[in-house]
Amino acid sequence: MAMDNNELNLAEVIEKYPDVPRFIILKLDLQLRGVKLTDRALEAVQDDRYRHSGISLYGTEADKASPKAAPGPAILRDGTTVVYTPGNESEDSYVIDNVDGKFLILDGEAQIEEVDFSPRPAYYGKKTSRGVPMESVANARPQRLDITPYRYCHFWDTGHQCKYCGFFTDLREQRQVGGAQLIKVLDPEDAYETVKEALKEPGRFSQIYLTAGTDYGGPKPFDNEVGRYIEVLQAIGRNFKSRRFPSQLMAPAYSKAQLRRLHDETGLVSYCPDIEVLDESLFKWICPGKEKWFGRDYWVRGALDAVDIFGWGNVYSNIVAGVETAQPHGFKAIDEALKSNLEGCEFFARHGVQVLAVVWKPWKSSAFRGQKQPPLEYYVRLIKGFHDIKRAYGLTPDSDDYKHCGNHGDSDLARLD
Amino acid sequence: MIRLDDGIVALFGDPQAVKVLGTVDEHGAPHVVSKGSLTVLDDGYIAYGESSDSSQTNRNMVRSIWFDKPVTVTVIKGGASYQIRGKPYKCVITGPLLKEFLLRARERRGPDADVQSVWIIIPDEVRVETPAVRREEEAKKRPYFNRHLERDALV
Repeated sequence: MAMDNNELNLAEVIEKYPDVPRFIILKLDLQLRGVKLTDRALEAVQDDRYRHSGISLYGTEADKASPKAAPGPAILRDGTTVVYTPGNESEDSYVIDNVDGKFLILDGEAQIEEVDFSPRPAYYGKKTSRGVPMESVANARPQRLDITPYRYCHFWDTGHQCKYCGFFTDLREQRQVGGAQLIKVLDPEDAYETVKEALKEPGRFSQIYLTAGTDYGGPKPFDNEVGRYIEVLQAIGRNFKSRRFPSQLMAPAYSKAQLRRLHDETGLVSYCPDIEVLDESLFKWICPGKEKWFGRDYWVRGALDAVDIFGWGNVYSNIVAGVETAQPHGFKAIDEALKSNLEGCEFFARHGVQVLAVVWKPWKSSAFRGQKQPPLEYYVRLIKGFHDIKRAYGLTPDSDDYKHCGNHGDSDLARLD
Repeated sequence: MIRLDDGIVALFGDPQAVKVLGTVDEHGAPHVVSKGSLTVLDDGYIAYGESSDSSQTNRNMVRSIWFDKPVTVTVIKGGASYQIRGKPYKCVITGPLLKEFLLRARERRGPDADVQSVWIIIPDEVRVETPAVRREEEAKKRPYFNRHLERDALV
């Protein structure tokens, strides 16, 4: 793909954009280029302070390849969280080493910055009363508990999965994984017990997050999964004396009736139907499942309708930023791609919906494997633009900020708001 | 980084001492607040617990660590006063240090107290701001500068 911006490296981008914190630019580059751990660093994260589950959302190839556990998300010195996933490294990836007890980010021989990892939470290693490992029920980020009630996406059944997606896939077999290793359907009581245990650790968590693969089944489309989410949220809610608790659900666009049920029957605070790509024609190509169930207008409407129910600023929608440049149909110049995204962000912001950018990583198990990503400078311009737009509309990402998701550079900039 | 002397470190741990943190906002306006949790860690760094990530102080600290701006910590007891200039080094959002500050806050202020981040500051300069010491220093440097005449008048 031809770019009309030169591909500047990290130092050059930092110099060119002195009003964007270097920590955030580094985060974007870590997500773009990927991260691999040296043997020494990998050994250091086997320590009880760091050791996380080997079961990840994005694929089991990396999990099976090594008997060693991966660490949790990385945390930079300023508190910025960096979510990255092992198994998708390249020659160009950054390296994290452990030197004299400190983790360091290296680019070749150059030391870039100190880093740490999200600590292993106290509930890991424990089991529910049904004998289910709690770390398979809830995955821990620095301040967020991630719960996946359904580990399968039915878009894959008919080949309509989103073209960038690698959720629940086996990297070798290029298909979704089932079997005893992964519990496909979560029992709500396991969710209740796991959250109860997690809350015993003071200061460890300040949000609960749910997402799952798409299940469009039911008397009305998506009724099955809405019912499932309600059961799990109600079970989780039994742990709190307050009616509502800091929480977010990332799920498909639902009907107003389904949204009303989610809001009224649970303690959910925030809802996020991901539009994935803002351009109308690219949406059809990149998200054929979402186009089939029931097209872009439906997904846009779902987000806007949700504001009437969840309130201004409590509805979000992620885009896989950069996928709009995938070839052969994507934008060929980044200024055009940027314009499309900024216009889309403004449209949603005007209606009280916060669009957030996730850096696109062409997973090896996705249809877009091997595609070229936009350069770092594109992402810096994008997050600046997104942040400026949302700030102008008084939108702060309280339910999707630097401490909880860790995926969005534009949310990170909002720490100053 | 400079190492704080034992006397100053002891003041941080003295419950009678007043400790304040000075930061600057995006317009350059100073923002000075009392922070009882300010302490000196074993490694000589200064730390405090931030009870609200949305506070003006927190936003100023984020700006300082992002754009390499200094902050000041002043500790005062009786007539003695020390101003320490430093730079934010780290914002701790999870882990044992956050838990330690949180539990201490809850001991002091009850179970609803919160610490949402712990900030670590590297000290790089100490100024003695004890009034008597400051006056003597200034007088030595500029003995006749704006000194009121009646101080030296006969009768």
